[in-house]
Amino acid sequence: MSSQSASSAETELRLITQAQQGDRRAFGELVRRHREGVVNVVYRMCGDANLAEDAAQEAFIRAWQHLPSYRPRSPFRNWVYRIATNVALDALRRERETVDVDALSLAASDEGPETTMEEKERGERVRQAVLALPPASRAVLVLREYEGLSYREIAGTLNIPIGTVMSRLNYARNRLRESLTPYLEVL
Amino acid sequence: MTDHVTAWLGAYHDGELRGLRLRQVETHLAHCATCRAELERLRALATLLQESPAAGDLTPPERFVAQVGLRLPRRPERPTWQRAMEIGWRLAPVGLLGAWAYGQAVFVVTGVVMDALQMGLGGDVVAGLLPVSQQRLWLAEVFSLSNVGLNDAGRIMLRMLSNGGPLGWGVMLHLLLSVVIGLLCCSWLASWWARRQHRQQI
Repeated sequence: MSSQSASSAETELRLITQAQQGDRRAFGELVRRHREGVVNVVYRMCGDANLAEDAAQEAFIRAWQHLPSYRPRSPFRNWVYRIATNVALDALRRERETVDVDALSLAASDEGPETTMEEKERGERVRQAVLALPPASRAVLVLREYEGLSYREIAGTLNIPIGTVMSRLNYARNRLRESLTPYLEVL
Repeated sequence: MTDHVTAWLGAYHDGELRGLRLRQVETHLAHCATCRAELERLRALATLLQESPAAGDLTPPERFVAQVGLRLPRRPERPTWQRAMEIGWRLAPVGLLGAWAYGQAVFVVTGVVMDALQMGLGGDVVAGLLPVSQQRLWLAEVFSLSNVGLNDAGRIMLRMLSNGGPLGWGVMLHLLLSVVIGLLCCSWLASWWARRQHRQQI
């Protein structure tokens, strides 16, 4: 571990301790540090950018409420990701009762004017294919492919055995390869 | 080559294989075009997923942090008794271990003292401390006085009962203490597990 990352880890530990004692400013700093990752996890899980922001905020609020019970045995990032995954699944469950997930395409991310129609269509197909996965497999895939967590970290985050991580990941990839075959041949 | 390593290719692609399994997959890939093609498809899928756009910039970080800050509920201050209970709960295993060690020590010391007394090492002064074995046999005496007819097996059983079982009262109490402490430890572990599971459910 480099001295810079060690120092960063120490700072984070100090922020966590302060936040556990009720320091909102320290917690704000933790939110700033992990905002991008949490929003990304929630977005990949539920496929809706606006919903993702709300759910990410909800995840941080839940983290604040349960922070006194957090023990720094596992990284704070993984702990927050676990909360984010659960919040995303809850949000998706609520949304599914009122909105068709396929109809969320209009609420998807703003990709900017430079994105070509072909890229947009491909991005949309990937998003739909990921959303079509069972939530348990999708959570493993998102944490691995988009957040780069190791199998051990995913197992710790989702509280499942490493063997289950592997089988869910294999299942998710096989399903995606089937549904995204035309795009995989082009690459 | 027929034994494909398809099941391990995902883990290989993710850099999760070590040792023998890693060497096995690498050796297989060097000779098997099918598995190499499979690995390429996995890599292509990873690239496709990575290229799909992220959520994009919605709310600026500062505003996001401020919004979360505004929504943060006041964390209720835990009362002192609750904190004391928490500390007590955490120290419970130490207390149980202490109780068990104390029981062990008492049992061993008592055994040594009793053996010494029985061998007459304590002299006449302390001889009176010897357990009155006759008192332990009160049940047998009662039966013999009342002339209740007992066969040999019955008498042996009676003697064992009046001595506190086949091992004596001291051992029985020791066993009882160990069982109680064991049960309390199991309860504490169950409670710890339940709390851990609750934390996982956040």
